[in-house]
Amino acid sequence: MSAQGKTVRGALSLLLLGPFLMAVFVPFLWMVLGIFKTNAEFFQPLTSAFFPAHYEWQNVVELLEGKWVPFWDVFGNSLAVSLGQAFGAVTLSAMAGYAFARFTFFGKRLLFVLAVALILVPRQLFAVPLFSWVNELGLSDSLLGVMLPGVVTGLGVIYFTQVFRQVPEEYLQAARVCGAAELRVFLTLLPLVWPALLSYGMIHFILAWHEHLIPMLVLTSETKQTLPLALAKLYDVSQRTPQGVQMAASTFAVIPTAVLFAVCHRKFKSSLSDMLVH
Amino acid sequence: MPFLFLLPFLFFLLLFWVIPLVGGVKMSLHANGLGRAEFVGLEHYQALAKDERYITALRNSFTYTLASIVVIVPLALWLAHLLRATTRRLRPVMTFALLLPALTPPSVLAMLFLMVFHGKNGLLNQLFVMPLGLEPVSWLKDPDFILSGLVLQTVWRWTGFMTFFILAGMEGIPRVYYEAARLVTGSRWQHFWHVTLPQLRPVLLFVAVYLVVDGFSLFSGAFVLLGGSGGTADAGLLTVTYVFQKTRFFEYGTASAISVSLLPLLMLALWAALFLRRRTA
Repeated sequence: MSAQGKTVRGALSLLLLGPFLMAVFVPFLWMVLGIFKTNAEFFQPLTSAFFPAHYEWQNVVELLEGKWVPFWDVFGNSLAVSLGQAFGAVTLSAMAGYAFARFTFFGKRLLFVLAVALILVPRQLFAVPLFSWVNELGLSDSLLGVMLPGVVTGLGVIYFTQVFRQVPEEYLQAARVCGAAELRVFLTLLPLVWPALLSYGMIHFILAWHEHLIPMLVLTSETKQTLPLALAKLYDVSQRTPQGVQMAASTFAVIPTAVLFAVCHRKFKSSLSDMLVH
Repeated sequence: MPFLFLLPFLFFLLLFWVIPLVGGVKMSLHANGLGRAEFVGLEHYQALAKDERYITALRNSFTYTLASIVVIVPLALWLAHLLRATTRRLRPVMTFALLLPALTPPSVLAMLFLMVFHGKNGLLNQLFVMPLGLEPVSWLKDPDFILSGLVLQTVWRWTGFMTFFILAGMEGIPRVYYEAARLVTGSRWQHFWHVTLPQLRPVLLFVAVYLVVDGFSLFSGAFVLLGGSGGTADAGLLTVTYVFQKTRFFEYGTASAISVSLLPLLMLALWAALFLRRRTA
């Protein structure tokens, strides 16, 4: 294709993409601007008062000072639970994936199908029995009670099985010839697949960050709550939280995942491209 | 030896998946209520078969899931195609912008959506419906529009994410395939149909399975938008909302029976997906 034709096509694509980008972006812009609005401004028709009259940080200060929810506790809890879950899920899934990719053993197919079936059973559907079981384990109202059930993931096992299948056999041979134990072989492989480890960790972090139902059942005291729970409380009409504070909390809830994704995005995409088509 | 590597996974699988699942099945065979309940056999299931709200929830969830797949997959394919045509420098920025809703906690999304839909002052009514000279639509109250509203929310949430996966898949297709195709025909449509689409099969399969699972487990969205209810005339009642409602009134037996009854459906979906893949591979 000629260079000119390419430019024209690029411009046309941009034009067609425009409305979609707007549809995604405008609500988020409105959310961020909402931080600075008074309640009266907030409820005017969107088209007449899209921008706030004054930019003051009052609402952010109130949120951070913990006037409405113990914000830093909640933020820290969410961070701890999501990081712990992501780390656990990557560790367990990478080990299981290595076993599925590199060994043949009795019952392998059955176990693998079981892992696939895991994906298909939404945890939300079995929230109640899970909750009562977590209670029996003595983990009620503890962050561990939210973190530990989330480390089992079918998606992760399938992902890492695929990843380890693609590691060239020569690497393994080389490691084994040196007389390394199987666990050592696995550990020497890890630096080779780090983009995959990072990518899956990121995805799992995001999913854990969003989890709403399980924490809602398990965590009861106010200082143990995670962000989605605190948000639900702030949104609750009966709490009379100023709209600006709600918008500030919402914005802070998006920032960690957005930053994480922005940082890891390139590695994630190339690791996917390598895997999906082969 | 392999079991050394599988052990941690299997341990947690047993602890937090198998045991609650068995607990759920057991719960579905016992009377409603807290504490020790008597064994009632299949009573809950028989009651469900006659429960009109259950049938409604099932039908709504099915429509909702199917509609989201039918809208999202072609739209994401098209967007990925458009993104491919833009300059390399702009592409990551735009992909990221499209992905933003997928990175946002569902409760925030639902709040934003509430504002977008909300009554007469919402963005959708103000910018699109009223300028066209139509009556403002009460998206979350009018039973004719609730389900479309929920589908719209899913589309808004996941399209960018799926576009990202499809784009990654497209970039992984070796160039030689297109060069070979160009020898046969110059039609871009033919290239798309005979090279891109078959190569993307694993990605599309992933997307479809993901949306099915999400469709049957979506909680936050419907919960915040409709306040945990099914909306006017149950027009937006989804299976997971119904499970939640039953749980709230301590009808644990019924709630578990609903959950268990969905398993064969989900298994069927997986089997169909795998079967299709083997057939066409």
